[in-house]
Amino acid sequence: MKKLLVAVLILISAVLFAGTVSVIGPWSGGEMDAFIPVLEAFKAETGIDYTYQTYRAEDLANVLPAQFSAKKSPADVIFMWSSFITSNTKNILELTDVIDTDAYIPGALDNVTAADGAVYGIAYTAKVKPGFWYRKSFFEANGLTAPETWDEFLTLLEKIRATQGVKNAIASGNGVGWPLSDVTEHFLIAFGGPELQKDLIEGNTSWNSYAVRNAIGKLVYLIEKGYFSEPTEWTTILEQWWNGDYGLYFMGQWITGMVDDPDDLAVFSLPGNRGMVFSIDYAFIPEFAANKTEALELVKFLSGEKGQSIQVSQGGHIATVEVDMSNYPTVDKEIAKLTEGVETLNDLDDSIGGLWQTAFWDQLKLLWVRPERLDDVLMDLEQKMPE
Amino acid sequence: MALRKAKLKHFGYFILPALFLLVVFVLYPTINTIFLSFVDEEGSLSLSNYKEVFSSRDILDTRGLDRGFPFGSLIHNIMWIAIHLPLTTIVGLSLAVLLRGVRGGGIVKSIIFLGMVMPMIVGGIMIRFMFEESVGVVNLVLQTFGLEAKTWTAYPETALFSLIFGSVWLWTGFSMILYSAGLETIPNTYYEAAQIDGASKAKMLFKITIPLLKPITVVVLTMTLLWELKVFDIVYIATMGGPGGSSNVLALQMYLYGFREWDFGKSAVVAVLITASTLLAAIPMMKSAGDEAE
Repeated sequence: MKKLLVAVLILISAVLFAGTVSVIGPWSGGEMDAFIPVLEAFKAETGIDYTYQTYRAEDLANVLPAQFSAKKSPADVIFMWSSFITSNTKNILELTDVIDTDAYIPGALDNVTAADGAVYGIAYTAKVKPGFWYRKSFFEANGLTAPETWDEFLTLLEKIRATQGVKNAIASGNGVGWPLSDVTEHFLIAFGGPELQKDLIEGNTSWNSYAVRNAIGKLVYLIEKGYFSEPTEWTTILEQWWNGDYGLYFMGQWITGMVDDPDDLAVFSLPGNRGMVFSIDYAFIPEFAANKTEALELVKFLSGEKGQSIQVSQGGHIATVEVDMSNYPTVDKEIAKLTEGVETLNDLDDSIGGLWQTAFWDQLKLLWVRPERLDDVLMDLEQKMPE
Repeated sequence: MALRKAKLKHFGYFILPALFLLVVFVLYPTINTIFLSFVDEEGSLSLSNYKEVFSSRDILDTRGLDRGFPFGSLIHNIMWIAIHLPLTTIVGLSLAVLLRGVRGGGIVKSIIFLGMVMPMIVGGIMIRFMFEESVGVVNLVLQTFGLEAKTWTAYPETALFSLIFGSVWLWTGFSMILYSAGLETIPNTYYEAAQIDGASKAKMLFKITIPLLKPITVVVLTMTLLWELKVFDIVYIATMGGPGGSSNVLALQMYLYGFREWDFGKSAVVAVLITASTLLAAIPMMKSAGDEAE
């Protein structure tokens, strides 16, 4: 009886004095619903309560510098672009000895590692941007098949557009602008190779170069032929695409967690594609976090096998540490197959960041409705590249 | 004399806190911003920020003369003023006159005023969806007239106009309410006398109502102009100045210089430009207030 009483008292103390960790992430709606179970599992395991706030990275980029200069932080654990983490290391806790860096897949932590080898962020799960998604049922009902050549791709687009009830072949997501940039990067990688993506990120290639014009030219050709829809808010058009208004939708892997029946999903990359954007979600602990101890516990959990297993089982994520394949839903296992033999690449605009990212998104919105302005678009992008 | 001194002393006690706040939160930041606009990358005082800003296509884009939008944020703000100001004033006055003394007019005015009551961020989101192809109410109306539906904010030629007309819907309540209040100050005897003299309703409007509403008109014009020069939230949330900068405005460009490019010198230049414009715009109102006091 005494032992039971002591155990109960310890448990109550653990709960009462466990503290709370505040988390900021970019996810809302369905994506947030897929992240909460991870936080719930963390709470159940450690007794540490949590709060979660949605905040877009581009808004955080404005807020955080001012907060840091006031020696404050809006949360204890913040998900943010790797470019922000590595350019603000003096305001961020070093995590080299906190997380198990050897447990990660090779290269996962490169983007949050400083030149001296110090690690300033964790790599949480990743999403790939594999290609054009379609509903298997839609393809079966209309006798369509995934293309293996560029000409087959054009034929497919024509067939989809001609299908009764379909508004257009490819749905174009809009909002801030990143859905259009994801499509554009796919074309840059498919027709310029992984080297082009890397060169553009490093600033080694001009936006007016032949390689870029050739790759984007293929995209512009499709836009001019009218195969892409008007840019529409990306979650609105997701529903429309799912309901059959459009045949294809270029989106990241998180789409599998946002549809009613992920088993009806399939995806193909542009024929000949040799690279794929492997977009890792990074998180860090600010130096001014109010609950550092709790935050350290959370980042250990998120960078560990258990936390990432729970996340990948929700669908739409790929672990950056070793997890049992049985955790993955069927459709994500198929995505993993697509990544075989292709080079994983950083996201272009996330890597460059700053004003250029805003300009990239903005110029693509213009390109989508006025493809004849390609020259102006490329010139503006070149001018706004950071020096 | 002693009484005067005591009065001055008490006056000082009461005015000092407000003066302190004014100096700290208005005067000092204004002077500092003007100073910052002259500080270049090397930290020396020069006009380089001004040269960079005024030669930037984000402020003035002459390519627009050949190919259309964008024309630069400065021109976009001027266009906003040229369309929004007269429309809001005329529509507001018309509504105030039409709804005066009408049964249910109060309820209609309240509904129209809702646009002013809601936060502009919310207004911006509503404008974004109002002009959407599939869910927008604007397209619903246009389609009844046989026009094709499209997302008006997605195209460079129509993005800015969508925001302007959307903002007319939001801001008209302001001018309507002011004019409604102003109409109540006009003595009925003027209209009665005019009626006896055989004046038509139109004549009464142009010869009595509008001239006597001149002070209200000055306020409406000035306040609307000040708002138009500083408009930011609607544009930020609805289009972020796009596509391709075709709905960009000065306040948004100031934000982009400051918080995306982290160039506070250029941001300060735009701030100085906006401040100078608003000061110029406020002169008629201050003059009008001075004339009234005399």
